[in-house]
Amino acid sequence: MINRISRFSLIFVLLILLQVLVFNNIRFSGYINPYVYVMFILLLPVEIPSWLLLLISFGTGAVMDIFCGSPGMHTSATVLAGFVRPFALRVISPRDGYEPGADPSMFIYGLRWFLIYTSLIIFIHHTALFYLEVFRFADFFRTLLRVIMSSIFSITFIILLEYIRKGK
Amino acid sequence: MRNLLNFLAKYNNLIIFLILEGISFYLLTTGNTYHNTQIVKGVRGFTNRIDEKISNARSYFQLRDINQALAYENATLKNNINLLKNKDDLLFFSISDTNYRQQYQFTSAAVIDNSVTRQKNFFTLNKGSRQGVAVDMAVTSGDGVAGVIVGCSKNFSIAMSLLNLDFKLSARLKSNGYFGSLGWDGNQYNYAILSEIPQHVTFGIGDTVETTGYSAVFPEGILIGTVSGFEKSGGDFYKIRVLLKTDFKKLHFVTTIGNLRKTEELGLEKLFQ
Repeated sequence: MINRISRFSLIFVLLILLQVLVFNNIRFSGYINPYVYVMFILLLPVEIPSWLLLLISFGTGAVMDIFCGSPGMHTSATVLAGFVRPFALRVISPRDGYEPGADPSMFIYGLRWFLIYTSLIIFIHHTALFYLEVFRFADFFRTLLRVIMSSIFSITFIILLEYIRKGK
Repeated sequence: MRNLLNFLAKYNNLIIFLILEGISFYLLTTGNTYHNTQIVKGVRGFTNRIDEKISNARSYFQLRDINQALAYENATLKNNINLLKNKDDLLFFSISDTNYRQQYQFTSAAVIDNSVTRQKNFFTLNKGSRQGVAVDMAVTSGDGVAGVIVGCSKNFSIAMSLLNLDFKLSARLKSNGYFGSLGWDGNQYNYAILSEIPQHVTFGIGDTVETTGYSAVFPEGILIGTVSGFEKSGGDFYKIRVLLKTDFKKLHFVTTIGNLRKTEELGLEKLFQ
């Protein structure tokens, strides 16, 4: 248990640092801003209680907001992601259910499952985030394009990171 | 209590979610000036629209008061006009004469009771002797003749409507100045009869009929109506049907007109009769 907490803390710190130091500086043409820190929400154990998941999401978003200087924006998007995660897991649950005590990992449930899982949550998170950033519906399709482009990159990076995590 | 706890247990995730989202939205809107202004703009636009709706509705309900105020203002303006009209045609006047310029005094009033269906119709006004209304004052509605005050109490007065068989009025054709006597024949509420116009007089349908000012009740030149038809009656006279200008079925705001010099005029006339 303690082992697990420390392991997730390490992942948390690494992801935040990666996001703040590397990905926040990637700004291709204003359309692509990948946010890989959401991966932390993705990796939390399947049987984690929902309230704890929500609180962790809130904390993660708040930390990101402190680094990005945008109070509330990442927080609300991440809390939304944490809220939909149990539903997403239920919708795409494997035929024989989740193994007790297992993390939602690509190497247990397969690339395809992980891709769907990641895409669902990343897309919801990015939609909320980018629309909250613009905060009006005037440039609706421009924002939608930004959401899609950034989601593709975020998903790609998260899958790469998942490979790296396994390699360690 | 147990139901409440069950409810909380059932939806605890949703509640936590909503609380956390609420906190982050609070942070979002207070921490970022841009988001804050957007929210304020949106809310203000919404409330402005609501305010506009409310004030529209309210102004509709205030129309009655506004009407009353306008009628009052009209009366004051008419007083002023009368004051100014007589300004220049006098060379000498007595200094002690407080109303040397003004012959008629206008007061606005509202009709609170009215009838058009009887043969002898009267209507009631909401002003009486305390407000300066007196017997034998003229009553007009808008630009048209409505009646004559026949009785006053302190705060109310009764006027004999033009639609009364006893009502007689000195009237003339505006186009040529021939005058006759106007009265109601008891048939339709929007027609009156002008008689005693000689047959050699030429006039047409649609000619204006107005008051003469001979009676010392109505000022000169107040509209009564327009000629709508005529027929020969008896020996030498026409019987002219006059379409009344005043719509007695919707009589509401009227002006009473008092002749300030009536006693003087009548007193003088009495000497020679």
